[in-house]
Amino acid sequence: MADPIVHMENITKHFGPVIALNGVSFDVKAGECHCLLGDNGAGKSTFIKTMSGVHKPTSGEIMFEGQKMNFASPRDAMEAGIATVYQDLAMIPLMSVTRNFWMGREPKKGFFIDFDKANSTTMSEMKKMGINLRSPDQAVGTLSGGERQTVAIARAVYFGAKVLILDEPTSALGVRQTSNVLATVDRVRKSGIGVVFITHNVRHAMAVGDRFTVLNRGKTLGTAARGEITPEELQDLMAGGQEMAQLEGSLGGTV
Amino acid sequence: MSDNGNGDGGALAAGGPDDERIKKTGGLRQWLIRPELGGIVGVIAVFVFFGVLAGDSGMFNAQGIMNWSQISAQFMIIAVGACMLMVAGEFDLSVGSMIGFAGISIAMFGVVWGLPMWVAILITFAICMGVGAINGVIVVRTGLPSFIVTLAFLFILRGFTIFIPQTVENRTIIGGIEEAAEGDWLAAVFNTDLAGWLFVWLADIGVVDTFSRGTRAGEPVISGIPMLIVWAFVLVIIGHVVLTRTRFGNWIFAVGGDAQAARYVGVPVDRVKIIMFMTTAFCATVFACVQVFEFGSAAADRGILKEFEAIIAVVIGGALLTGGYGSVVGAALGALIFGVVQQGLFFADVESSLFRVFLGVILLFAVILNTYIRRIITGER
Amino acid sequence: MKSFLKTVAAAALVAATPFMAVADGHESQRYVLVSHAPDSDSWWNTIRNALTLAGEQMGVEVEYRNPPTGDIADMARIIEQAAASGPDGIITTLADPTVLGDSIRAAVDAGIDVIIMNSGTPEQARDVGALMYVGQPEYDAGFAAGQRAAGDGVTSFLCVNHVISNPVVAERCVGFADGLGVELGESMIDAGQDPQEIQNRVMAYLNANPDTDGILTLGPTSADPTILALEELGLAGDIYFGTFDLGENIVAGIRDGVIQWGIDQQPFLQAYLPVVVLTNYHRYGVLPGNNINSGPGFITADGLELVEALAGEYR
Repeated sequence: MADPIVHMENITKHFGPVIALNGVSFDVKAGECHCLLGDNGAGKSTFIKTMSGVHKPTSGEIMFEGQKMNFASPRDAMEAGIATVYQDLAMIPLMSVTRNFWMGREPKKGFFIDFDKANSTTMSEMKKMGINLRSPDQAVGTLSGGERQTVAIARAVYFGAKVLILDEPTSALGVRQTSNVLATVDRVRKSGIGVVFITHNVRHAMAVGDRFTVLNRGKTLGTAARGEITPEELQDLMAGGQEMAQLEGSLGGTV
Repeated sequence: MSDNGNGDGGALAAGGPDDERIKKTGGLRQWLIRPELGGIVGVIAVFVFFGVLAGDSGMFNAQGIMNWSQISAQFMIIAVGACMLMVAGEFDLSVGSMIGFAGISIAMFGVVWGLPMWVAILITFAICMGVGAINGVIVVRTGLPSFIVTLAFLFILRGFTIFIPQTVENRTIIGGIEEAAEGDWLAAVFNTDLAGWLFVWLADIGVVDTFSRGTRAGEPVISGIPMLIVWAFVLVIIGHVVLTRTRFGNWIFAVGGDAQAARYVGVPVDRVKIIMFMTTAFCATVFACVQVFEFGSAAADRGILKEFEAIIAVVIGGALLTGGYGSVVGAALGALIFGVVQQGLFFADVESSLFRVFLGVILLFAVILNTYIRRIITGER
Repeated sequence: MKSFLKTVAAAALVAATPFMAVADGHESQRYVLVSHAPDSDSWWNTIRNALTLAGEQMGVEVEYRNPPTGDIADMARIIEQAAASGPDGIITTLADPTVLGDSIRAAVDAGIDVIIMNSGTPEQARDVGALMYVGQPEYDAGFAAGQRAAGDGVTSFLCVNHVISNPVVAERCVGFADGLGVELGESMIDAGQDPQEIQNRVMAYLNANPDTDGILTLGPTSADPTILALEELGLAGDIYFGTFDLGENIVAGIRDGVIQWGIDQQPFLQAYLPVVVLTNYHRYGVLPGNNINSGPGFITADGLELVEALAGEYR
């Protein structure tokens, strides 16, 4: 496979005396979905924030397209092509889909927003993701949770994301909406974007993941490719690694 | 409203069959969620109501119309600023004190300290917008509710407004502004009557009454369209266009809707809020200028309670107190309702103390209606 | 939805119709009284009651309007509004001639008769084109009080002024001195607003000028501490003591004999008489040839019962 777009090597992050990340290695390649699994408190959100430029690592290196990167702000990471869709989505329910879609990057025609362009682009981008909007004026509040996820993903993709970090995109959804979001993830991956899918749901990870990395107590326990590991093994790893010794072999010696 | 043609509301077309539980929404519902709707219906209702009750009382003769138009225009000027700030998720309770403060500032610089009036006006705008910026900076830096921060400035500004003229001049009313502003180009921007010929003509054809005695006998009772009304219209139009048509307007909605979400996508939240506080200060200063140059004196007690009147107009106009939703045109209609009701009750010969009862009832209904609208928009049940 | 709500609101107002003044069948005059007082100022209740009473007695429609917050700029709009409603007359205070002048003049020029009451001066009233002024000219009130004191044998006095910055109120002292036939000279002191300071200054003055045999205070603010000062010096009841305006302590002082009289500007008359004057002017074309002084009315221990009984209503 090609070189990874983002490669993180032995990242640690300390908050005063608290060690949030203690040796995380992770990479994501174009066109793959790399799932990061971990239970609550494993350090997932610190990991996301480090990758998306909110936090600076205490030690370790982040390589972006083969170059050492030092993001000063989320804005930098975003401009480089790392887009994050947070769990709370960063969608504003009272505003229309179009206004949300373009928020912060509104297309201008002279002094004003080019609403013709904004509306038609929103409609077509949403259609690509498999959602037919009633109207681009429709408030985001009227959309279902899955649809909102899709708007956020479509937005990130449209604005040129090379890596898309999805923070627990399925955790609050019902069965059918979940399958829709997973279908969207699949679609995004196929378009050549590297997807980092963060979840604690092994079944959801298994559905779309190409590779799986387990995070526990601030450490990555290793990475396995699809077919090298069973859902049960992943589950056990996440749960605390009591059976780690016996699983080491099945992880392919990557620890 | 555009419609994609299938009209079935099936948003999840690709994921499966259309969701039969998403009801088809008619045009009525679409109209209901426009923030201006309440204002439009309210304006019609109020005019019908007073048309029936006070139709022959002078409320709708030229003077009467001018009277409630001026009152409404006053409310509109401060409601524009209050509306945009409320959409951005904040309040400014210092508006009323700012009006008094700005008036005294103009009088101090222009009359007491003898600067040219246009300089006094520009200095006053600079000071007041500076105070607005301070309001904003404190709110965004400390994260305190703007309610408390601007409440503090309500008292601070009013205190200075009394203290400064009292200390320097031994009085709290400063006159002589008319003389000092004579021939000043900038003062004229705030106090000129436009289109006087129109009213002369209207008087000729008998639509407008004329003065029957005194030095102005034979002249129409209305000498022109006051700048007060022009300012109101200009500010409403600019405010509406900025809010709905520009990138900055989108940021205002975003900041009030969810500041954190706006930050995620790179909206400069703090800057937007500070600029909005400066905008309310600007509107308050415009209000003060128009008032000071019309009446020729500044007094330390001007503008008391105006901040609440502005907020009431904005809420009647359909804005949500919680931010992220509202309309400048709606706020202007709210101001019109406010002005017409306040003056209309007099023409309808209702005991004046009942005005507050009426206002309270309208406000309550407006807030309930707004909550209902928000539920429709966000799909809550 | 909204229209339904509006209907309810309208219904609520219709339900309030009994509160509205209902015009009776025949053509009756209509007068609007505009004051500068905020809703919170209870002193004006007397004015409202007197206005209503005058309306009933004369058989005319009367209305009371005021800026809810006491904002004079709002008051100017109220006067314009009153003029637009085409009343036969407007009765208004002239709290700030600069602000109100144009509105009042426009009403006069539009053919509405205006009477100035309470605030303002006869000169200012003439200047805005009003028919007359009904109120208490401060100099004249002071002069009458001075004459009265002179009749009671007073030869020198102390004027306790707590609003030295207001030249109109100081006219009371000037008039008093003239009525008494003495020079004002040093006998008016700037007492300030603080009760303790006022008390000390009065005591200091009386110690320094032991031959002072009369005191004039300009309102409850200066009268109340002066009563305390006199009690402390043992002069209460001995020294001749008059005051402007009434208040609870002043009324008690009059009853106890500490204060000889209080000057009442009689707000009742300020509202009542303009209605009577205007009605007669419009019905029969008769108009008094002069301004009317509603005060000074002297309140002494004799008439105190009625004052106490009607306090806040008509007094």
